[in-house]
Amino acid sequence: MASKSGYQCLSCLLKDTFTSRAASASRTTSSKRLFHVSTPRSARRRPAYPSVKQSRIDAAAAQEADIQARAAQLQPYTQRERELLAMRYTPEQMEIIEAGEAAISSRDMAEQGRLRGDAFRPTYIDDFSTLRPLVDKPARLALDDAEDQAGDKKKKDVKKLKLPGPLSATEGSGGAEPHLQRLSLTTGLPLRTLRSLRIKNLVSHRVVNQTRMGKIQSLYFLTIAGNQDGMVGVGEGKGAEDEDGRRQAMMNAIRNLKPVPRYEGRTIFGEVEGKVGGSVVKLMARPPGFGNRCQHLIFELARAAGISDLAATTPRSRNKMNVVKAAWQALTSQRLPEDVARARGRKMVDVRRVYYGGLVG
Amino acid sequence: MSLVNLAHVCSHLQNASLARLGLTSIPYTKLHLSLALLLHKQGFLSQVKLGGPSPPASCFPAATPDNHSITAAPHRDRSPRSPEAALYDVVYKGQTEEQLRREGFGEEAIQFALEHPNRASRRLWLGLKYWDGMPVLRKAQMVSKPTKRIWLDSRDLGRLVRGRAAGQVKPITRIGEILAVTTDKGIMDARECVERQIGGMPLCRIW
Repeated sequence: MASKSGYQCLSCLLKDTFTSRAASASRTTSSKRLFHVSTPRSARRRPAYPSVKQSRIDAAAAQEADIQARAAQLQPYTQRERELLAMRYTPEQMEIIEAGEAAISSRDMAEQGRLRGDAFRPTYIDDFSTLRPLVDKPARLALDDAEDQAGDKKKKDVKKLKLPGPLSATEGSGGAEPHLQRLSLTTGLPLRTLRSLRIKNLVSHRVVNQTRMGKIQSLYFLTIAGNQDGMVGVGEGKGAEDEDGRRQAMMNAIRNLKPVPRYEGRTIFGEVEGKVGGSVVKLMARPPGFGNRCQHLIFELARAAGISDLAATTPRSRNKMNVVKAAWQALTSQRLPEDVARARGRKMVDVRRVYYGGLVG
Repeated sequence: MSLVNLAHVCSHLQNASLARLGLTSIPYTKLHLSLALLLHKQGFLSQVKLGGPSPPASCFPAATPDNHSITAAPHRDRSPRSPEAALYDVVYKGQTEEQLRREGFGEEAIQFALEHPNRASRRLWLGLKYWDGMPVLRKAQMVSKPTKRIWLDSRDLGRLVRGRAAGQVKPITRIGEILAVTTDKGIMDARECVERQIGGMPLCRIW
């Protein structure tokens, strides 16, 4: 029988030596790799007692003396003062005043009941106990209240989920990809909606990072996602692997989904311009049945957004990445006629809705 | 009609909007006044006031009754015998110093009014508007240039309004865009020109 000390292959030999060395190292010191011959100190040296400067001790003493002096000035009301107060206030109010006097020690009053004297103090005297609707910001929910409300909502949702019936795509997501599930959680969109998005990769090329060690290559992807009903997003992704970069770009595109206003659900409002870098994209509204007559990148974006009548020009740089981004910027930065009308205080009527018996739009 | 000065006004309005100013001033000329009144009518400006090198008191909101002690700005007190009122009377009613005195204007007001009968020192004070954090007047660009004036008849203006180009003039396609046209009936929007069937010289487009 071949003994242990007998024949061993090279890799087994190496493995044995490595494990034994590691075990010995862990026994002697921590698992850190050693660069020095001397053994390292276990932790940073700390003094046995905190070192406090004399100036700070003096300052604290001065502050304490100041508080003491001011507290000594705060004497309880004399009999005469009480009588004067009683002439001004009702007996109930006097009781409250006396209770307050008894409850707050003069030291507390001197320490905390001070008027601010710094340069950044408010120019008026206010205890900020009341909210004035014109001056103050609206009151926000306290954290506890918000949590309670959220909790209530969750409970309601749970009740809804318990209803009998077939499971929807969101609930029966056992077989879904983990990255889609995560996306569904972060965006709040159900998996069914995520799967129905129109996703298209528009730009992909190799990028290189030149380092000291050499060139590091990775793949860049620019992807658009849209629900073909007024939502579109653009995302970028980069990865050493093709699959990884593609997935990153797709997920970023879905995360960046933004609403696109559409006139009559088919075209944009008027003429809009977007600019990214040297690329300028000018989008123009067109009549029904015109089609998306623009270059392929803008065409895909318009299709994903659910726009069917559009014209576009790119008078300057036609860098693919920047063209897509500029077109997206233009689509999402449209001005709505209602907003313009409200800003100018004028009435605006869409005459297309008036003509043709109101059958348009 | 100096288009050079009008171009300066256009750039100034853009710059003032970008700087988010609430009140700005332009030199007082008849052309600038009628353009400012058109912009006011179209809702781009909140106020158009005539004044001197400093803004008239009526440009500012009236002092609220409860904070007399807080404000340290004497020009906020609006009154019918203010210097600006005297200036208005001198410019628009042609009143002389005697008449102003008879109406009961103070010495200071009369001095202010008579300092600015000189047109060069008069200025138009315009109130700019903002909505949702963005200026209401974003861009103002010249159409006719000092070196190339353009005249359009009502048919051409109709083309522009319907979204077709007329010669070298680009159509009105942006949301809320207006084209100020000077005609023999005064300065008006291109749409109003088409309605009244009159042509003129397009001055500038504003959106």
